[in-house]
Amino acid sequence: MSPPAVAILWAALLLVAWRWRPPQAATLSAWVLLIAFGALGATALWFDFRGQPEPAGFDFWKPTVVYWTLAAVMWLVPPLGGGYPAKIILGNYFALSNREWRWINRGFALLCTLLGGVNLIAASQASYKDWEGFKFSCMVFLLTIVLFRLNFVWLPILAEVSIHFYRRATAAYRYLSRLFSS
Amino acid sequence: MIPPERKPDQVVQLVWPGQRSGLVTLGATGKSGGAGEIFSIDGLPGFVAKVYHATTSPAHLARYRHKIQWMADHKPALPEVPAGCQDIVQLAWPEALILRRSRFVGFAMRKIAFDRTLELDYLLNRRQSAQEGFDADYGKLLTVSFNLASLINSLHEQRIAIVDLKPMNVKVYKAELYVSILDCDGFHIDTEEFRHEAPQVTPEYLAPEFQDRAVTHPEAQDDFALAAIIFRLLNYGIHPFTGVASDHHKYPLELAGRIKQGLYPYGKVAHKSVRQVPASVHEAFPDDLRQLFDRAFSSPGHSRPGAREWVEALSLYASKRSGQISPCEKGHLKFSDRPCPTCMRDALIQGAEVRRRSFVARVQAAPARTLKYVRRTLRQTHTSPFQAALAQAQLFTFRQLAPPPAITTRNAIALEILWISGMLILFWWAR
Repeated sequence: MSPPAVAILWAALLLVAWRWRPPQAATLSAWVLLIAFGALGATALWFDFRGQPEPAGFDFWKPTVVYWTLAAVMWLVPPLGGGYPAKIILGNYFALSNREWRWINRGFALLCTLLGGVNLIAASQASYKDWEGFKFSCMVFLLTIVLFRLNFVWLPILAEVSIHFYRRATAAYRYLSRLFSS
Repeated sequence: MIPPERKPDQVVQLVWPGQRSGLVTLGATGKSGGAGEIFSIDGLPGFVAKVYHATTSPAHLARYRHKIQWMADHKPALPEVPAGCQDIVQLAWPEALILRRSRFVGFAMRKIAFDRTLELDYLLNRRQSAQEGFDADYGKLLTVSFNLASLINSLHEQRIAIVDLKPMNVKVYKAELYVSILDCDGFHIDTEEFRHEAPQVTPEYLAPEFQDRAVTHPEAQDDFALAAIIFRLLNYGIHPFTGVASDHHKYPLELAGRIKQGLYPYGKVAHKSVRQVPASVHEAFPDDLRQLFDRAFSSPGHSRPGAREWVEALSLYASKRSGQISPCEKGHLKFSDRPCPTCMRDALIQGAEVRRRSFVARVQAAPARTLKYVRRTLRQTHTSPFQAALAQAQLFTFRQLAPPPAITTRNAIALEILWISGMLILFWWAR
């Protein structure tokens, strides 16, 4: 798929997301995460789709930039009364107490801080192959979050969408049956 | 006269002390060990023969002959048994040499009645011992411990050590509670006129000072193994060096490694690197026994309690007249003025069983519960099975939480589009 096609598809999906956005006001942590990811996404698009050459050594910094950005959001937003960003990353459907969310948020923040720091150490001191290994092993962290979300959030959504289409299909079948029988 | 169906190899000469000898025929029993095979002896129902494997080298056989000859001539004095128990065999001690065509091949020893005995190993597991017809209680276990210590003490007094002392080498008479030690031809003998080493050891019962090296003080080794066996007998088979690592200490997988590092968790002063297993009942032991165990497993070899000390300590508890053993409210025998170890163990097992059943029930109910919550999710009374499960689990421990605001499926899809976009961006940066 060409870069413009990806951008158009993505924009369409974001438009759908805007149209179907929840009626509740977004929390400060949601806004901060949106802005942070918007900036990170825009930078990614700038380099990838506009063919801009990346600055020297940028590759080594990339994981640190994203982990420390996340860490900064998770450390700074709760004291400002903006809720817990980890709640949005993990899924705010889960009925945990504020105390539990606070500790989960701290855990995520600490992990991101460490991963960002270790990436710099690995990039500067380990071999390129080892650094690559470290980088991709960090993906397990992301994969875990995806699997968690997939299991507990996407599954019910998929079930509901399936039921919705099943009901629509049944109604259509009844309508067509009546049409042809009359 | 030799029966015609016997092979010539089965006809051997028995040479008793004092050079009295006679021809006998051996019959296969099907029992075999690492060093040799056990045969019955026609005409001598109270004896069996141990014939070394044909692969044993002539040099080894020569050494065995020398040792067996000495042993047959010097039968040790053993603890006295009551007049009614004279047929009890406390040691499978060599009593006659076996020669085949004038060549030494093995020895004859008194037969241990297998139907009247069981391996001491079985006593370490109450269910196993019950299956073998032995209803173990603390009175019997203490008596068995006392008899074992007495036997070892009398051997030590005659400068004989077992070295490879382990539950598998000890038989227990079910009714009389006397013990019988097997594999006597492997004993260490160190008298003024005769000396023979015992190279065979079992790492799980080997004292720390002899791990990875030769046993230079065989009595000290026996004292360690004896303490380990008594500890296991009284503590439901739990080895004194079985524990749970309590810190980042590199905990050896093998018992031998733990013995070597002295990781004994059942001392009166807790070990900082290892915790006791929850099923242990050592807290119910009297102080004098606990001090002996602590000295046996936490002290260097020279201050380890010897068999004599064990005899003195256990004689109090093995005797009904001493009043040191009394029944608990449920009728189990226990150490007087101490909690009942059987009740302690039952409570521990019952607690574990209740937890296990509860866990199994929850696991079995999980699919149905999950489906129920998914259905609720679709009706928007819950947004996920996990949420509902968590909310349910928190009923008793946390305050009730306000339900999350209801969102429609479209809202949820919108949020997920943003979330997936975020993850893709994260992936681009982190890769």
